[in-house]
Amino acid sequence: MTPNGAIGFGLILIAAAGTARGLTGLGVILALLIAFALASRRNIAAALLWSLGIVAPLAAFMALVWIGFVGRAPHEIAAGVEGSRAAAATYAATVCLRLFIIAFAVQALFLRFAGWTPLRFVRALTAPPLVKKLLVLTLSLIETILQAIDRARTALVAGGLITRRFSQVNLRNGWLLVQTVWLTVIAIAIGRTRDKWPIEGTLSRLDHALAAAAPRPAIADFAWGAAAVLCLGIVWGLR
Amino acid sequence: MRELIGGPNFSGRSAALLQRLSALAPGNAFFVGPYAEAALSGLSSTVADEIAIYRSDAAAAARAFAPLDFAALAARKPPTLSGGEQVLLALHCFALSDFTIIGIDTALEQLDPANRAAALDFLSRVPSATLLVDNRLDHIDGWSVRACEGAPAFRLDLAAAASRLAPVRAPTIALEGLWFRYPSGRDIFRNARIVLQPGTTYRLTGPNGAGKTTLFKLLAGVLAPKAGSITLDGGAYAPWRDGNRIFAFATQNPDHQWCGATLGEDLSRRRRALARHKQIALPDMATLVDLAAQLGVTSIDQHLYELPLVARKRLSWLWPLSGALPWIMFDEPTIGQDRAACAALAATVTRLAALGHGVLFITHDDDFAATIAHTRLQLADAAIKA
Repeated sequence: MTPNGAIGFGLILIAAAGTARGLTGLGVILALLIAFALASRRNIAAALLWSLGIVAPLAAFMALVWIGFVGRAPHEIAAGVEGSRAAAATYAATVCLRLFIIAFAVQALFLRFAGWTPLRFVRALTAPPLVKKLLVLTLSLIETILQAIDRARTALVAGGLITRRFSQVNLRNGWLLVQTVWLTVIAIAIGRTRDKWPIEGTLSRLDHALAAAAPRPAIADFAWGAAAVLCLGIVWGLR
Repeated sequence: MRELIGGPNFSGRSAALLQRLSALAPGNAFFVGPYAEAALSGLSSTVADEIAIYRSDAAAAARAFAPLDFAALAARKPPTLSGGEQVLLALHCFALSDFTIIGIDTALEQLDPANRAAALDFLSRVPSATLLVDNRLDHIDGWSVRACEGAPAFRLDLAAAASRLAPVRAPTIALEGLWFRYPSGRDIFRNARIVLQPGTTYRLTGPNGAGKTTLFKLLAGVLAPKAGSITLDGGAYAPWRDGNRIFAFATQNPDHQWCGATLGEDLSRRRRALARHKQIALPDMATLVDLAAQLGVTSIDQHLYELPLVARKRLSWLWPLSGALPWIMFDEPTIGQDRAACAALAATVTRLAALGHGVLFITHDDDFAATIAHTRLQLADAAIKA
């Protein structure tokens, strides 16, 4: 499968998730997504757990507010009917499942291309050079933030301001981590843009590194694309 | 053309290097700075991508330089490499590129002796123009030398800083059955054990990537071992859980240790944090400010990240020299420092040990290490060997 095909597949399923109104439609999308992830022949447990972790805070909040306090679904409130906690639970589950599908779709794409480096993935995309460059810069910014988190944590732990494991000190001084990360990101960015990049013309090296014709669509692109379109049709029919 | 740019700290060597590069090949000269963000592109998420960004079909075959197994490191994130490995990666990228000029600002000081010799040999034979700033070299055969002379800024007075130190009683540290590995990496330590005596200076040795800095991070609580224990005079010590109260840690890159934006903010936050440990005799703020001035920074409103790297490195010695904490760790303290600063630091380290502090240091600077009486700890095969 090519990156273009995989992204197309993911976007169709995300659009389907946005279109679906009930749990049945979302269930169909999730089933296709799991099949797609399994086809990567990699362990999908971590991807499922990661996606659950993304959804868990929202699920807890919605359960508390809609099922616990309100006790009715929004459409019941709009219609002025008495409503039920079961309807509120269905509403909360639908919203959470939709978010879960979006998070898991991203994870499934990562799984599919787990052996690829980010640069190779971006190079294989059909997109204008500027868009590809922006994608690489965005990824580099994410890496910079991760690097800054590591640095800031090293500084604050070694300085005794926070501890590696959970502690009361962390509750008191945790906000310092945010400030230190921010300062570190700025320091790293300035370090690059002041010395390395202007002397080398580093950014212009990307043009050469990203210049490559996108690979021709593979059979898998068409197969999974057709499945996604079929899924979108089913979801639309269930509305 | 091969040129060694010499002179003491703050003599304008780095500025001269950058000006020469800009003049010789505007926007088209490979640069390896003294710290990670000036050595690597910052555009790659993996070592393989870093290489791909610089690789050119036009690179001359005679430029091959691969001191590490980069295929094995292909999936690693460049910032997770050790300082020396990052420099070697940068040189490998240069070797694969079509750049015809390279400038290196003190980065080779992070390399172990074998890799440093290999790098210098590579730079001496590569058919490219090379400009080098290095504190440990006065000349290289076949290279020209350009001397810089400038008024010294950020005056260093280590003798005065060390004069206020008082005797301490540092605990004996015992590491037992230490196991550690980074996620999806090899074992860095496997059932490692060592006893560290106070009043002794230890030098950690081993090739780039052997785990020297990792050991420091374990002792300071930045990393937690998978198994094993640390004891202080026989009592349990778990800094990853309870916080660091023993080690003053001067990191290889000084920017890995600031706890605030300005000197004053950094000092006051650290004082507050250490004050919760009753056994620590904290120096007062005025003493710390005086100490900072002796290290070259005279204003507590000084923004730390605006200081030159050499000045930041010197300021990173502040907490070790404050005497507040009984054990001291220096990670490559001489990087970027001229010979006068190195000699003064060696004398200070000797004094710290004489006063009862335990000292651990990592350096690839054999000349510096030779001036300090020390016990060598060799990191090899996931063990620590005395």
